[in-house]
Amino acid sequence: MTKSMNNKQPSFVESRRTFLKGTAFSVAGATFATGVFKTIADTPAVAETKFTPTPQTLAFYPPLEEWNSFTELDGNDWKRGGTGRNGVQSEENPNGIKATEYMLVPTACSNCEASCGLTAWVDLSTYKAGGQLAVKKYMGNPLHSGSRGRNCAKGYATLSQMYDPDRIPFPLKRAPGSKRGEGKWVRTTWDEAMKEIGQKIHDTLKNGDEISKKQIIYHVGRPNENGFGPRVPHTMGLDGYDSHTNICSAGARQATIQWTGDDRNNPDWANAKLIFLQSSHAADAGHYFQQAAGRIAEARKKGAKLVVMDPRMSNSAGMADLWVPCWPGTETALYLYLANRILNEKGINGEDLVNHEFVKNWVNWDRLMADREYLAYLAERGYVKSVPQGNSYEEFIAMIAEMYSPYTLDFVAKECRIEPRIVEKLYDMFIDAGTRVATYIWRAGTIGHKGGWMIGRSAFLPFVLRGAMAGDEGGVGLHEWSVISVNGQGDEATVAGVKPGKVDVWNELIWPPEYPLSSYEMSHILPHLLLDDEWRNNWNAKGLQVPDKLAVYVPRMYNPVWINPDGFRWIEALKREDKVELSFNLSPTWSETNWYCDYVLPTGLAGERHDQHSEATEPKRWLSFRNPALRVALEKMGWKPKHPARATLEAHIKAGLGEIWEEIEFWANLMVDYVDPDGSLGVRQYWASKEDPSRAVSIPEWYQVAFDKLPLLRKTAKAAYPDSKYPNYEMMRDRGTWMEEDHVYRPQERPLKKEGTTFLVEGHEIEESEVQKDEFGALYIEEEGKRHVIGVDVEGRQAQGFETASKKLEFYSQYLKEWKWPEYAIPIYPTTKEDREKMTHVVTQVHHDFMEKENDFALNTIFRLPYNIHTRSVNSKHLMEISQNHNPIWIYTEDAKRLGIKRGDAVKVTITDTVSGLESGYFIAMAVPTEGTMPGVLACSHHAGRWKLKNAVEIPGFEHKLGVMGLGAPLYEMTMDGKIGTLKPKEGLDQGMEARRDSWQFKEFNKDLDNIWWDGLSGAWQNAVAPSHPDPIAGNHAWHQKVSIELAGKDDTIGDIYVNYENNMKVTQAWRDKLTRPLNSSDTIRRPKHVKRPAVPLSDKAYSVNIS
Amino acid sequence: MDLMKQEIENRISLYGLISRLMLKEVDEAFLKHLEQDDTILSFFPNYRDWAKRKEISTKELVEQYYNVDYTNLFLMHLVPYESFYTRDDQMIESGGENPVIALYNDLDFRVELDAARVVSADHIGVELEFMYMLCVAQQKALQADDKEGVCELLEVQKAFMKEHVLEWVPLFLINVKKESRTPLYHDGAELTLEFLLSDFEYITQKLNEYCGK
Repeated sequence: MTKSMNNKQPSFVESRRTFLKGTAFSVAGATFATGVFKTIADTPAVAETKFTPTPQTLAFYPPLEEWNSFTELDGNDWKRGGTGRNGVQSEENPNGIKATEYMLVPTACSNCEASCGLTAWVDLSTYKAGGQLAVKKYMGNPLHSGSRGRNCAKGYATLSQMYDPDRIPFPLKRAPGSKRGEGKWVRTTWDEAMKEIGQKIHDTLKNGDEISKKQIIYHVGRPNENGFGPRVPHTMGLDGYDSHTNICSAGARQATIQWTGDDRNNPDWANAKLIFLQSSHAADAGHYFQQAAGRIAEARKKGAKLVVMDPRMSNSAGMADLWVPCWPGTETALYLYLANRILNEKGINGEDLVNHEFVKNWVNWDRLMADREYLAYLAERGYVKSVPQGNSYEEFIAMIAEMYSPYTLDFVAKECRIEPRIVEKLYDMFIDAGTRVATYIWRAGTIGHKGGWMIGRSAFLPFVLRGAMAGDEGGVGLHEWSVISVNGQGDEATVAGVKPGKVDVWNELIWPPEYPLSSYEMSHILPHLLLDDEWRNNWNAKGLQVPDKLAVYVPRMYNPVWINPDGFRWIEALKREDKVELSFNLSPTWSETNWYCDYVLPTGLAGERHDQHSEATEPKRWLSFRNPALRVALEKMGWKPKHPARATLEAHIKAGLGEIWEEIEFWANLMVDYVDPDGSLGVRQYWASKEDPSRAVSIPEWYQVAFDKLPLLRKTAKAAYPDSKYPNYEMMRDRGTWMEEDHVYRPQERPLKKEGTTFLVEGHEIEESEVQKDEFGALYIEEEGKRHVIGVDVEGRQAQGFETASKKLEFYSQYLKEWKWPEYAIPIYPTTKEDREKMTHVVTQVHHDFMEKENDFALNTIFRLPYNIHTRSVNSKHLMEISQNHNPIWIYTEDAKRLGIKRGDAVKVTITDTVSGLESGYFIAMAVPTEGTMPGVLACSHHAGRWKLKNAVEIPGFEHKLGVMGLGAPLYEMTMDGKIGTLKPKEGLDQGMEARRDSWQFKEFNKDLDNIWWDGLSGAWQNAVAPSHPDPIAGNHAWHQKVSIELAGKDDTIGDIYVNYENNMKVTQAWRDKLTRPLNSSDTIRRPKHVKRPAVPLSDKAYSVNIS
Repeated sequence: MDLMKQEIENRISLYGLISRLMLKEVDEAFLKHLEQDDTILSFFPNYRDWAKRKEISTKELVEQYYNVDYTNLFLMHLVPYESFYTRDDQMIESGGENPVIALYNDLDFRVELDAARVVSADHIGVELEFMYMLCVAQQKALQADDKEGVCELLEVQKAFMKEHVLEWVPLFLINVKKESRTPLYHDGAELTLEFLLSDFEYITQKLNEYCGK
């Protein structure tokens, strides 16, 4: 266009000097001008104020010393021209800019695991003028070294959760005479609830027998705290802690435990040269993403490259330097290909690519080479041609170079269904980055598949070989190096003054004998085990004591019915009052699980509770301290609670938030006043206050003691609060975060702590003369015939080492060999179809071997939606507006074309298990053809598809109806008959919300409920259709499913599900019974003792087993 | 002085016009004003003679052509911010660290970002409107026969042009010309470029002749 125009108008340029000549234009400039400037010179003079209309930088934040009272201009200030023009609002100047006095109470986000710092801005102006005390906004906490004052959408959404129109305002009890799931509720009080619950726990504990100690289970969703949860069953002498780990991260934990003894890694993103992600986890969703993404962006700004391995083109993959779409579950092959090339090729200057200095010193190759019997076994299986003659390091390297040589480019291209050029580019980038390659192996493949843990196990191998696992700058460190866990360590504030002793029972409902190595508790099959008489009778006949019911089941901020696979089985179990005698959910929001509990006890969200929470997001040791903002504000203004150990509950009632409590105060009061009021059970002492034994321990007492475990914190607090009785607590209350240590690099190399001739190891003093050294350099002591390894000798230095039994990284996992899985004790993967059948335990259930018909697909369910990752965020207006419960199924464009599927079509997705061959049923989803998923692989996140069975519930005697998930879940109809379950959408959530748009609750925050424009009807509850697939070793649910798809029939609606949950039970049993290698008469203990973790400390007696 | 009084009106009109063109999408009213003055229309020769203008309605032209072009040029593919062109890291600086914003602040000007719908006050449209504001101020000074004020304002204009506008706007406008897909924005870019160069010479000349600098 440019050329032709200029050619036509040659005289135009020459005329430029005539702009101002001749007569004036007939159009004045003001007609055109937009008018974006305001000059202060035109405005009336006003008095000087302290406000700066425009902060110098976006990062501006009030200084800490002003947090108790900081006055800020209204958000409309800048639009109105600032105080410079209008002055500050006052009686004399009513048109001035409104200024609000806030108290900034620091807390931490609780909407994912990252624990980013928050500050709750409590409006003091309105309160002082006689209004309600309320938080007006949540902002970041600039003191927080992990989040640095920044938050993602979920952090700011805390306000919409706090003032949710459907917030549960008081404790609810299932209406007497009604059945679980009928949705009939009555109002109760915390004390009435605690009385009945306390009595039931009391009666159960009073039995004192082994079975009773297995009948109370505390099932914790995302804990977002460090160490308090396990203390609850521990103080009652129960093996009763269940986690959600096995639907989340068990595969990655298994892999990391085998290599390092720790259960997760901790990359140094900011200093890496290559960011190597398997999944979108760190950069656009999931674990620590807000903190990680910022640091990844900074690394990229410095020149780092980003690789994303994912069958789906996530946001991260879309902006990566290289997207590596790999057939789900075959990633192991690709990692071993990298290992093969590192071992068998040279660098551009002819140098070895293996970092020999690191591998030789810090990998347990020596133990492998010394185990001649095992080497012979490897040769027998054909992993290596023959047993090396000697046991030198060089022979080890030569042996594994041969072992991994079959993982060629050709093999990987076929196995992973990936273009060779991508694999080669990946390798080049990996090598170019040297030791500075950072990764975070967590969800994605490791939790998706049978043998998913082997993906993680193999993933770390190239990192180890290159020296990127040394915990050095830009590489990969470990979680325990950074995490601070003191939330459960307030024992010295209690009457007992010490921790309870170890617990003597082993709960088979938590850790069944089929899964001695699982990582960790097998909670996703809890209902299956409870309802499986044959399984229980079988083990009881062999001498175990498996309970046939639970006396009390307590989910804590958890929604197992919805998020776990095979949801109808969960409902079935929870509805059975003979199987679950009493249940209560400590839950801030409505959930599908609440519907089937006896009590719903509303607990606090991010700014309404106390937690010490620390996460390994970088090579530092930091913690967050969650505060109940309204309580802190009231106390700072002079308010005092009637009962010092119930202050949070009292404060929330006073501030009009509702009868919202928090777990720490709840459990302490429950134990002291209701479970063991006379102390006869021995429980009370662990919860009663040392200062005033007549009552439960208070929050300041508890945290003063807990934080005293951190030397730097203690010292600083004492200096900052010299006159305080609880300086540690007060400092953390006022700052909300703490960094105990920076630059945590290579701690395994640190010398063992020693004073004179005494080693100081984890609180124990050990005389040098007692310490022995084995032939591989491990330093140990012997106590009662047991060996405790305390460090490792590396080149003459006594170092702390890694957390494994050898204190080195374990290429060779000796305990896996000893615990019946010798073929998988090293990173390995089958290379032929025949071997894949033999080694089925490490081959995904969605391998392309199983895709036989043209409409067979692998369904990738594991990706988080960055705005909606937890059930607790279901009713956040702010987040739901973004997500709308929308969750289409992604299908590759050519696949869609082949099957005649167009965008928006309803498709029937039928799930079939490849271990048992059984069909589970189907869900109806909305198809979206896209280039963003690889051929043959569908994608549909398991994080959406919420439902409810009533829009609102009536509470007898209470004037208002209580809304149920009005912003996040549409209304459905359910049927279930013990074998078949169905769910059908009935009404969009917009309709339900319209009916109660004039919310009775938190009106000020919910004026826009007439503007709910999304109906939430495009997702389906696919989790219920999916059967539980317990991995035989790691124990995790293998999330991916083999499915077949077809266009839905005319009676099918998007959101419909049809589940044969009788079949689903059989599928789970098949995975359990066909694939595992259970304990047998040759076993004397339940699980290797050095492997993490029974969360509740268990005694030798609990560990011991005798199977007849 | 009288000549300057006449010239300043035209300068105000032109700065008003080009700043408006660069700041937001055109509408029917804007195009009507542009077309009603033959001299102004003559600055848009390709636009004036564009056959499409006779074929379809102005509303359709706006929706189907001009808005598309504007979005492409000012929102999506080109970056109309000074800091993008002048900073080594090509980041847009929207805070007080931006020297343009610091300058506005020093002179007691505030940009209403919501009215401007820009992320930073160093947007081309805002800088051109700033020139417009300076010209309006100069007009007031001329009307008050405040020679000292006129000269001071000319100094400010020269410095702002030299240190900011001419440092990057020509490069940006050349890009606009190349990327434009409608005669309106092509001609608008050409007009703006030529006018700015001419106006800088004019300011320099006036400072020389009138202010003795």
